Amino acid sequence: MEILFLFACVLALVVINVPIAVALGIVAVIAIATVQGLASLPNIPIVMYNGATNFPLLAIPLFILAGAIMNASGISTRLIAFASAVLGFVRGGLAMVSIGASMFFAEISGSAVADVAALGSILIPAMKKKGYPKAVAAAVMSSAATLAVIIPPSIPMILYAVMADVSVVQMFVAGIVPGIIGGFGLMGMAYYFARRYDLPREEAFRWSRVAKTFKEAFWAFFLPVIILGGIFGGVVTATEGAALAVIAALFIGLAVYRELDLAHLKDAMIEGGSQTAVVMLLVATSSLLGAYLTEIQAPQQLARAVAEITTNKWFVLAMLNVLFLVLGCFLHSAAAIILVVPVVMPLVKLAGIDPVHFGLIVTINLGIGQQTPPVASVLMVACSIAKASVWEVSKVNIYFIGVLFAVLMMVTYIPITGLGLVEYFYR
Amino acid sequence: MTLAGFREGYARALEWVVIVLMATLAIEVTMGVVFRTIGMSLAWYDEVASILLAWLTYYGSALAAAKRGHISCPELVAIFPPAVRLPLALLAEALVFGFFILLAYTGWSILDVLATDHLVSLPEISVKYVQSVIPVSAVLILVAEALNVPAVFAEARHGHGGGAEDKAKESSH
Repeated sequence: MEILFLFACVLALVVINVPIAVALGIVAVIAIATVQGLASLPNIPIVMYNGATNFPLLAIPLFILAGAIMNASGISTRLIAFASAVLGFVRGGLAMVSIGASMFFAEISGSAVADVAALGSILIPAMKKKGYPKAVAAAVMSSAATLAVIIPPSIPMILYAVMADVSVVQMFVAGIVPGIIGGFGLMGMAYYFARRYDLPREEAFRWSRVAKTFKEAFWAFFLPVIILGGIFGGVVTATEGAALAVIAALFIGLAVYRELDLAHLKDAMIEGGSQTAVVMLLVATSSLLGAYLTEIQAPQQLARAVAEITTNKWFVLAMLNVLFLVLGCFLHSAAAIILVVPVVMPLVKLAGIDPVHFGLIVTINLGIGQQTPPVASVLMVACSIAKASVWEVSKVNIYFIGVLFAVLMMVTYIPITGLGLVEYFYR
Repeated sequence: MTLAGFREGYARALEWVVIVLMATLAIEVTMGVVFRTIGMSLAWYDEVASILLAWLTYYGSALAAAKRGHISCPELVAIFPPAVRLPLALLAEALVFGFFILLAYTGWSILDVLATDHLVSLPEISVKYVQSVIPVSAVLILVAEALNVPAVFAEARHGHGGGAEDKAKESSH
């Protein structure tokens, strides 16, 4: 009950527009002062400082920076050109291109908002120009951006790995197959809409065009692939791989495409720094609440309470899926991971659920949460670019969310979908 | 100088702090990889990188506060009429100020206690300097919040600007 009360207090503060990171801190401070007395308050800055010094989390600013630099280097237009050459001949070609380019961009970016902002600003106006209904254009781009958090690298996966104390690398590898299945599933749904609205094809398929655009996008494809390969192969850690990704992004932007100038680099660093701080302040203040919950053994209490009802793995997974789907509607993905994962981990372990499997389920759930109002950061950006209302886009997006939900169910109840590669390479 | 001008200059100064920290972090981690690869691992690499991350977190948070970029849910409070929004905005601002005043005070009060602790890999550096980031950034965040107060109350009164879409763009993931 104590956990529910604390979470209700956090939600109450969030509802009145207190930033989530501060809401977590306020509730934790009051709880600590009430239970342990005012003499314990000097521990607060120490716990908050230590909460922001977790070494594996260093990968977050570096992957964000690499993505921002790559985007400032003209990579988006090249990836779109290649996706157009490969997929544009299909009916509704531009929708296919949006999803294909999102899959390619996902191997650079670990953030769905970054994905929709980078690609959506080019592709949504292009789709509208070709006669796509604006709700369809926004829904395609918004749902496709979710692939950025499923296909590695992924910021939510790094956060989960740190919170649940599992391997970042295994989390990344687990996301590959579900990400690809999700991409093809979304293309199938886009094809349905293409036929329904009689959406146009792009240019006819020509090998010469594929070869030309591939040559231009080559570095954008293969440096990230090599770096991810280095991480998966154990040559470098995820943090070191992220640092190499920054160097690679600078190399591509300055020496290969030559579109990166100092002004763009400065903007990319500011963007990367601010985004990192926003997520990391959440991590730091949640460590305060986490310290309190650990002190009162709240996670263990929750595990025991649920275990009295059931310890059936599949039933527990169903309950956790519902919990995260609901939370995803109201909480930012980073906040949901930071708040809930440490609390439910004892239950997950008690039910015999593989923590990497669970991490993938959490990631996809919260990816869906970025599409479901009222708190739907990715959907909001897509709607803003398309100049369409959230309600109007959601009526179309519900079909694409259905595809993502099908992937979630597949990953949940056919664990090999995500864990197959992990089992093969790491266990 | 107008308030808007001062706010812009303040944000620009914080931007440069973030740029320096971000660049230093990327260079330091890359150096760590290079030196480890050539068999000359840097003993201080992990500890300094973690400190840089904490500094980036807190000084970056001051920048995010100046730009009103911290993750929040303005969508929910926006559905209320102005008569309700205004007291709620007042309460929310009071809570934010209270939290960071407490953090600045407690953060400052423990610095003397930490003065005798030193970094493990760089024993000549006192933990006091490293952890000064907490009270200093808390004060910077308080200044940023104070500069934004007129805009916050204007929005609560009129219910426009800084809406959901802007927030979504600013929030990261």
